[in-house]
Amino acid sequence: MILYIATTTLLLLIAPLLLSFIKSLKMVFLFKRPSSLFQGYRNFSKLLKKETIISEETSAITTYAPFLVLSPLIVAMFFLPPIVKGAYYVSFVDAFTITGLLSLSTFFLMLLGLDSASAFGGMGSSREAFIAALVEPAMVLTVFSVSMMAGDLGVAHASVNLAEHFPKEHMASFLFAGISFFILLIAENGRIPVDNPETHLELTMVHEAMILDLSGLYLAIIEMASSVKFVIFASLFVSLFIPFGLAYSPLIAVTVFIIKLFAVATAVALLEVNTAKLRLFKVPNLLGIAIVFAFLSLITFYVLGA
Amino acid sequence: MMFYFDTLAFIFVALILLGAVPNIFYSFGYLSHIKRKAHYQVHYFAFIASMIGVVVAGNGLVFLLFWELMSLTSWQLILTELEDESTIKAARFYFLMTHFGFLFLLLFFLLVTNGDLSLGFDAMHAVASSFAYPTILFFLLVFGFFSKAGVVPFHVWLPYAHPAAPSPVSALMSGVMLKVAIYGFTRFLFDVVYPWPLEWGVTVLIFGAISAVVGVLYALSEHDIKALLANHSIENIGIILIGFGMGMIFDSLGLKTLSSFAFIAALFHTFNHMSFKSLLFMGAGSVLHQTHTKNIEKYGGLIKSMPITAMTFLLAAVSISALPPSNGFLSEWMIFQSMLGSSNMSDMSLKLAIPFAVFALAVTGGLAIACFVKAYGITFLGLHRSENARHAHEVNFLMQAGMILMSLVVLSLMLFTPYYIGWFDKTIVGLDHVSVYAKIFPEGIWKMHSVAVHGGVVSPLILLTALVFVTLLLLLAYRVLGVKTRKYHTWGCGYQTTPRAQYSATGFAGPIRRFFAWLYKPQEHFHKSTIAEHQTKFSDAHYEVHVKPLFETSLYESVKRGTNVVSYWVYRLAHFEKTRYAAMIFNLMLTVLFSYRIFAHQFSWATFALESVVMLISIKILIVGEKR
Repeated sequence: MILYIATTTLLLLIAPLLLSFIKSLKMVFLFKRPSSLFQGYRNFSKLLKKETIISEETSAITTYAPFLVLSPLIVAMFFLPPIVKGAYYVSFVDAFTITGLLSLSTFFLMLLGLDSASAFGGMGSSREAFIAALVEPAMVLTVFSVSMMAGDLGVAHASVNLAEHFPKEHMASFLFAGISFFILLIAENGRIPVDNPETHLELTMVHEAMILDLSGLYLAIIEMASSVKFVIFASLFVSLFIPFGLAYSPLIAVTVFIIKLFAVATAVALLEVNTAKLRLFKVPNLLGIAIVFAFLSLITFYVLGA
Repeated sequence: MMFYFDTLAFIFVALILLGAVPNIFYSFGYLSHIKRKAHYQVHYFAFIASMIGVVVAGNGLVFLLFWELMSLTSWQLILTELEDESTIKAARFYFLMTHFGFLFLLLFFLLVTNGDLSLGFDAMHAVASSFAYPTILFFLLVFGFFSKAGVVPFHVWLPYAHPAAPSPVSALMSGVMLKVAIYGFTRFLFDVVYPWPLEWGVTVLIFGAISAVVGVLYALSEHDIKALLANHSIENIGIILIGFGMGMIFDSLGLKTLSSFAFIAALFHTFNHMSFKSLLFMGAGSVLHQTHTKNIEKYGGLIKSMPITAMTFLLAAVSISALPPSNGFLSEWMIFQSMLGSSNMSDMSLKLAIPFAVFALAVTGGLAIACFVKAYGITFLGLHRSENARHAHEVNFLMQAGMILMSLVVLSLMLFTPYYIGWFDKTIVGLDHVSVYAKIFPEGIWKMHSVAVHGGVVSPLILLTALVFVTLLLLLAYRVLGVKTRKYHTWGCGYQTTPRAQYSATGFAGPIRRFFAWLYKPQEHFHKSTIAEHQTKFSDAHYEVHVKPLFETSLYESVKRGTNVVSYWVYRLAHFEKTRYAAMIFNLMLTVLFSYRIFAHQFSWATFALESVVMLISIKILIVGEKR
């Protein structure tokens, strides 16, 4: 129980660090002077001190939605697979529930975008709705396939199963599902081929457009939510698709896990440096690839025999 | 036996009452809006009574009587507000479609009762099991009930009839009447034509998957809020049928536990859809009542003037979008779980095909979220988009009471899931299937298990508690921090924030409409008054887009054209000669006799071919005559 709470808190704490790491790594690759690794924390504490400006045009949705954006993600955080062997984990939550919680958070974020009565908010919400609608089927199919290989639909239990008996005979469908999930990680977190988190140009932004009108504490909450979301996806990817290291002693296991998280972050940073952002209407092609890989994964699993 | 009352009838009576009681409150609040009060009330209560009558009917005659009464009263209710031409057109279309279905039901009953309509269900089963072509019976049921339930391709009347009816009636029709059709389908499938071949389940599954996707796609492109909700009914009936089809498939494969689980999921979704769809129609009705327009582009900012409507609508929107921990999420979760059970099948082609249904259901879920963000955001958030929206205020107490009662029904389905599932389980047991309650809730009511091997577990109550707890904790932290707040206008990049600058519903659905342009075939009307011939500078612009309903334009229009061609030829053949009339009557009799032979006796291709040849020759000689 202590390990469970400690590891979950640790994940919450390193959430901003991962995003700052991606940013500074990208700057290194682009031959710029990197920003500090702790920039995320600095921004957070700065925003906490600032005055919050609430738009006159908004309603109760803006007052409460930021909390409802963050809380499903924090709840989902507690349902993640264990990092350390023997640590308590919530075994009864399956991947559909986690997907649902993420959608709940996105739902309120989209409402938040429409509430500010600005053209930007609506634009962001509209684009996010478009992307989210196409992410959903790929996510469900990938989850379906992984649950078959792991022999359990509960994410936590599935990752433990995978770590203990890795399904070598299903390597092909495992890889396909992994590719599909990585594309979803990129799309859901608004990283570069899908959305550019650093731009403030109306032609390109999705996530930033929705939260353009927020400031102060509300902005801090939303920023927190997006870093927590990245950690959720990264640790799901790490526990389901790079399932090793659980057997070591607690300290080493945690270190291995964090190294793996940073490896995912590095992969994302490399991808961001090397690709250009896709046009919005090209994004379905990328997500289509994810859907096709998810189908392939299921079909190879069935055809090669369960 | 006039009436028959078992657990299935009981839960559907419960469904009708749960849907109708809040609706009665709402309806009384709405009454001031209606001119023909007596006409409305008589038909309204007769409508509710006839739905209960259908559910408790014990033989074919009583069933058909109440079924027809239900159709006719709802048809009259659509005609309550006779303000414009389109209402009459919608009512006529509804009348036609509902009697199209009725014909098939009548045929079904005549076949399964050997013409004696007072037979009970058991006797019908005996007749049906000796009937040589059960698939004909199945398709009669499909045509009869699906045309009432609004399954693609019989769905075209819904987006016309629901917007034309007064709002309480649309809530009843969409929330409850469609479920009565589901009841009929369940009743006769289980009690009369029981052993199902595998193909029937697959057929129902395909109907369901197509309805779900088509319904949600047309809902997204809709600007009329009630037509949007009507299209969502098509979607949700599709989801119910996906569950139903899975149950039938599992049953014919002998996987009894999974089959019961899938049927329970379908029944649960039936209840959920009743609750949130009624609530959504009531909310839409309140908005309509205040703003006097159905056009979603004319709303905006209504959350400030109509908080109760806005909050209940939000609850229903979360539930219909299948977001946890709502009841809509739970039933959709169960349907997903039953589909995951397909990995236990030994039939490889079926196993590879089910993921496509999973895909359809998942796409539907994603698009439903987009659609309800649009419906809620454009209606209730932002600035008022028209003068009408500015003058709106909260509806009267009775209408509020109706909405609050219905949201309590939604909440009860969310909080007391195990009790409802217990009842559904009893129903399924009453229909001679195995009980799975103990497998769904093996460790008490906290955790809900899937019965599939390696299935998932969900815990609605723990999820709800956790979400509420974390949100309250965050709110508390917010209070403790004591953040300084200031009110100021939204930043519009230096421009003023005006209602016209907001995103419209058309714009919101833009990317999705563009992606599915091959289905929508949108017709765009773009008009701008340019200044001094500049292409980029214009003083005024107007953009409108209309989506063609594909099924209506292709399927229905072509039937209409075909009928016209045939009737034209018949007309030309007749030539007003008495001998020709006599010859046509003779040929008609021949057709009746031959088709009776086909139904009543064993079918054989040889007789069929022989009789066709006889028919053709007699038509050629007697009617067509020699070429002139």
